Amino acid sequence: MTSVLKPMKLTAVLASALVLAGCVESIEGVSPTNDPAPVRAIGQDRGRDAGSLTQLEAGIWVDPDGCQHWIVDDGLEGYIDARRDPVTGLPVCTPIAPPGSIVGDAGSGAAGIRDWVPNRR
Amino acid sequence: MRVLSLELRSVFVAALAAVSAVVMMAGAASAQSGGAVTGTIEPGIWIDPDGCMHWVADGGVEGYMTGRVNPENGMPICMEMNTCAVANTDTLFATDSSRLTSAGRAHLEQFFSSAGAFAYAIYGHTDSRASDEYNMGLSQRRAASVAVVARSVGARVAREIGYGERRPRVPNTSAANMQQNRRVEIVCYR
Repeated sequence: MTSVLKPMKLTAVLASALVLAGCVESIEGVSPTNDPAPVRAIGQDRGRDAGSLTQLEAGIWVDPDGCQHWIVDDGLEGYIDARRDPVTGLPVCTPIAPPGSIVGDAGSGAAGIRDWVPNRR
Repeated sequence: MRVLSLELRSVFVAALAAVSAVVMMAGAASAQSGGAVTGTIEPGIWIDPDGCMHWVADGGVEGYMTGRVNPENGMPICMEMNTCAVANTDTLFATDSSRLTSAGRAHLEQFFSSAGAFAYAIYGHTDSRASDEYNMGLSQRRAASVAVVARSVGARVAREIGYGERRPRVPNTSAANMQQNRRVEIVCYR
């Protein structure tokens, strides 16, 4: 039973991977390269939700220690970086919400692609 | 507002110059280390709501981001957007004292009642006269005095730290500069 199912599953996975790859190319403005040292990332999103990355809208994620991080959901890409006090460089860990929470708009609404989230069992 | 946007623009220009400098340095470093260069990243600069800069790059499907720091001291590189208040301590306290003047107290009460942030960080600083140890103590006591006022009007104090003479705003080379260094900085965590 399983020996029959496995190849089928593999085919399905391969097919969906190919579809996804084409989808990603058209949505995100990327293409394969043979360059051994390509430009791997740039300061601009050339995908469906194209725009300069300087325009990103950030929410705040509270980590399990209670410290804050800027979080941006820009469609296929996600960005996160620590929030630091501009004057002293110390982390900002005020209890704005329970650990794990995202506060504010992390930007996925304007990202041009519907937000997909992990399956939960 | 117009002034701020002009400042922003000049910072962007500086940031772009920094980007090209970094790219050039990366080329020089690879020539020395001998490790194979397997690609490059040409990042942009993202400025967070506090005014601090982050390197950001879109890899097509992945995204990358890391905080931009001063190579000499590891501090984040930020524009002055979120220093809610810098009070000169000459107006808040008598010389060498951590007791607030009545005018200073009234000013702070008004500030903390109306600033509307979630929490505040309070940092005390002195000029370079007197000993380092004395100045650390004085700035700490002054930060604490300001924190007491903040709490008295219901504001949340995230931290209160005295840095003494160790973080001057300008070199302590003249009376005018020293006056700039005698200060209490208040950062708003919004």
